[in-house]
Amino acid sequence: MADVNTGPIAEPGMGPRLPGLGEQLQLVAWLRWRSLRNGLRNKNRRMDLLGVVVSGVFSSVLVIGITVALFVGTKYIFDEHHEKYLGLIFLALLAWWQLFPIMLAGFAPQFSFKTLLRFPVNFSTFYLIGLAYGLADAAAVAAVIWMASMVAGTLVSRPSAMPAMLLVCLLFAAMNVTVERLLGAWLEKLLSKRRSREALFGIFILSMVSLQFLNPILQRHGNEVKAIVLKVLPYLWLLPSSFAGNCVARLSEGQWLPALMSLGGLLVYVAVFGALLWRRYARLYAGEELSEGIAPATRARRTASENLDDSDSLRFLPPQVGAVFRKEVSYLKRNSFLFFSLVIPPIMVLFFSMQMTGLHGWAFKKGPSPDLFFPGMMAYLVLILMAPSYNSFAHESRGIQTYFNSPVRFREILLGKNLLTALIIVCEMALCIALVGFRAGWPSPPILVATLAAMVFSVVGQLTIANWSSLSFPKKMEFGKMQGQRNSGMSVFLMFGVQLLLSGTSALILFSGRWMGSPWLPAQVFTVLAAAAIGGYFASLDALTELAEKKKEVLIEALCR
Amino acid sequence: MADIAIATEKLTRKFGELTAVDGVDLQVESGQFFGFLGPNGAGKSTTIKMLTGLLVPTAGRVSLLGMDFAEHPVEVKRQIGVVPEGMGLFERLTAPEYLEFVGRMYGLDKPTTRKRSDELLEFMQLADRSKTLIADYSHGMQKKLALAAAVIHGPRILFLDEPFEGVDALAAGALKELLGRMTERGVTIFLTSHVLEIVERLCSHVAIIRRGRLVSQGSIDQLRAGVTGAEGRTLTLEDIFLSVVGEGADRPQVEELTWLT
Repeated sequence: MADVNTGPIAEPGMGPRLPGLGEQLQLVAWLRWRSLRNGLRNKNRRMDLLGVVVSGVFSSVLVIGITVALFVGTKYIFDEHHEKYLGLIFLALLAWWQLFPIMLAGFAPQFSFKTLLRFPVNFSTFYLIGLAYGLADAAAVAAVIWMASMVAGTLVSRPSAMPAMLLVCLLFAAMNVTVERLLGAWLEKLLSKRRSREALFGIFILSMVSLQFLNPILQRHGNEVKAIVLKVLPYLWLLPSSFAGNCVARLSEGQWLPALMSLGGLLVYVAVFGALLWRRYARLYAGEELSEGIAPATRARRTASENLDDSDSLRFLPPQVGAVFRKEVSYLKRNSFLFFSLVIPPIMVLFFSMQMTGLHGWAFKKGPSPDLFFPGMMAYLVLILMAPSYNSFAHESRGIQTYFNSPVRFREILLGKNLLTALIIVCEMALCIALVGFRAGWPSPPILVATLAAMVFSVVGQLTIANWSSLSFPKKMEFGKMQGQRNSGMSVFLMFGVQLLLSGTSALILFSGRWMGSPWLPAQVFTVLAAAAIGGYFASLDALTELAEKKKEVLIEALCR
Repeated sequence: MADIAIATEKLTRKFGELTAVDGVDLQVESGQFFGFLGPNGAGKSTTIKMLTGLLVPTAGRVSLLGMDFAEHPVEVKRQIGVVPEGMGLFERLTAPEYLEFVGRMYGLDKPTTRKRSDELLEFMQLADRSKTLIADYSHGMQKKLALAAAVIHGPRILFLDEPFEGVDALAAGALKELLGRMTERGVTIFLTSHVLEIVERLCSHVAIIRRGRLVSQGSIDQLRAGVTGAEGRTLTLEDIFLSVVGEGADRPQVEELTWLT
C-alpha cells in the first residue's frame, strides 16, 4: 500500500492550522465545482447540462437587458427629477431578490451549507459563510449587477448623488441577503418535516390554481379591488425599498433630516433581520436537528387489522392485480402532488368555461360552441391525467424490488396500475362532462359519442405507450418534494409527441364528419380505433412483461438509488 | 444424498469489463443454515441478486429446489422469501398494508394474510406502530418488517442480506430462534453478513467468495480443518475468514499510517 503521509506525527492537543474564511470559501467553491463535474459522468446529467447552458444564455440576455434598462431608467429619473420613483425600482428589486430564489428552489441543485458544521468553523465564520452563500445565489448576482448599473446611471446623470446611491445600494443588498437567508432557514425548518412539507406543497398547488381566477375576479370585481389597493398603497412607505428610494431622493435634494430618517429605517431593517438570522444560525450551530424523528406517530393500541372486515371487495380481480390496485390507492392518498393534480382538472374546466363559453361566461360574448368546447375540454383532461402514467414507477423507490421478488408477471402489476388510472379518468370525465354540460351546454349526440370513443382510444392507446415509457425511462421521484421532481427527458418528449399526434389525429377525424357532411362518421371511426386500441393494449401486456424482465436492472438501479 | 435446495453452475456476472462473479458453483442442501461471506466488493450481493432473480447472470445457471430459475421464475419465486439489500419496502404504506400487499402478491387469501400479518407484527414488536408509515420507521424496524414480509407466505428457501443490521439485541435473539426453528422444519436459509460471530453461531455451512470467485465452501469444521496453523487453539470463523481472504496484499497494513500510529 502506498504511503499516505510522510509528515511529522501530530502532537496531542496540537491540531493543524485552521483555514481562514477566504480559504474556507475557496474550499466550498471547489467542493461544489467537483460535485457538478463528477455529476456529469452520468449521461442524463449531460443532457441536463445542455439545458442549463441554454437557460443560462436566455438568463444572461434577460440580466443584460434589465441592466441596460435600469441604467437608462436611473439616468432618466435623475435627469427629469423624478426621484420619487426610485422606491418603485427598489421594490421590484426586493420582490425579485426574495421571490425568485423560492421559485428556483424547485429546480436548481441545492447544497446544504449546514453540512460544513462537521468541520472546525467558529460561529462568526459560519454566519459569514451563510451570507456569502446568499450572495452567490443567481438572483442575488443579478440584483447586484442591476444595482451597480443604477449607481453607474446616477454617476452619469448626477455625480453628487452617487455616494448616497452607493451607500443605499450596499445597505439594501445587505438587507436582502439577510432576509433571503433568513427566509431560506425558516423554510428549511418548516420543510424538514414530511407532513408540513406535503401540506405546504398542497397549499402551493392550490394557490397556483387560484391565481388563474384572478383575471375573472378582477373583471367582475375590478372596482372594489382597486379601492382596496388604493387604501393599502400609502402604507408602502414602511417597506425597506421605500426607505432606500426615499433616502437617495432626499439626499439628492439636500434634505438631510428626512434622508437620515430613511437611512435609519433601512438600518433598522438590516439590524432586525441580521439579529433574527444570527439567532437562527446560532441554533443550527448549536446542533439543532431538523431531520425527521424516528417513528413520530402515536402508538396504536390495537393491531391494524383487528375488527376489520375480512371480505374482499376486489374479489372479482386476480389477487395480485387487486393487491397492486390497493397499493396504488394508498399511494395516491399519500401523495399530495398526485392528489391535488386530480383536483385541478375539474377546477380548470370550470375556469375555462367561465372564460370562454357564451352560455354563462363573461370573457367572450360569443364563445366556442359546445361541439367545439366539449372535445377540447376532454382532450385537456386526458393531457393532464395521463402525464403521470409515462413514469408510473416513479414513486416505488426500493419497493420495485418487491415486484421483482414476487411470484407475479409484470402484466398483473401493469394491469393493477392502469386500472386505477382508468378509474380516475372515468370519474373525472363524468364530473367534467356534468360541469361542461351545465356551463357550456351539451354537444350534439354525434359529437358526444365520438368524443367518448376518442377518449377510450386515446387513453387506452396512451396507456400502452406509457407502460413502455415507464419501463424504459424510469426516473425516481420523492413524495412531497419539488426539487428535481421531473420525469426523464425521454418520457417527457415521448408524452408530448404522443399527445400531439393523438390530439391532431382526433381533431382531424372529428372535423372530417363536418367536412364530409356525415355527422356520425367520426363516432364510427373512433369506435373502430378504440376497439383496436383495447386489443393492442392486451396484446402488449406480454411483450411488456418481457421488456420488464429485460429492463429490471435499469429499473432497480434508477429507482433504488 | 440430501436434497439440494440451491445450486449454481458456473454462475458469472460481468459489468462491462469487470467480472463481479466469476464461475461460482454453489451447492446448498435443504434445511441448511448457510452463510455466504466475503470482503466488500467480493461479489456477495451480486450473487444473492442473481439467486433471487433481481439480476440476470451473464453466464451459468441457477437452480432452486430443482427448478431452473430462468425457465420457471414465477414457480421458483413462490417458494422463496427475500430480504434484499435495501429491503425493498414500499415506504408509503403502513406495516399491515405492506404485509397484506405482499401476502396477496404471493396468492394468500385475505383472512390468512390478515392472521399471519397480525402474528408477525406482534412477534416483530411492530404491532403498536401499525398506523405509522414505513418511511417513518427506524432502520431496525424496517429490517424487522422486511423479514416479516419475507416469511409471510412460508417460503422453503429464505435469502437474507445482512438481516440483523440495526436490529436490537432483544429482537435479534427472537429472530435467530425463529430462523433456527425454520431450518429444523426443513427451510433453507442463505445468509450474508459481515458480523462473523453471528454467522458462526447460526450457520452450519459457509462459503467464502473473494474477487468474484468461490475460494472456500463446506461446514465450519471442514473449513477449520483446511486452515493451517491451528496449533492447540480452536479457530474462530474470523480466523478462517482472515486466513482465506485477508492475507497477502489484500490486507491493509496499519503500520503504513505512521502519522496515526
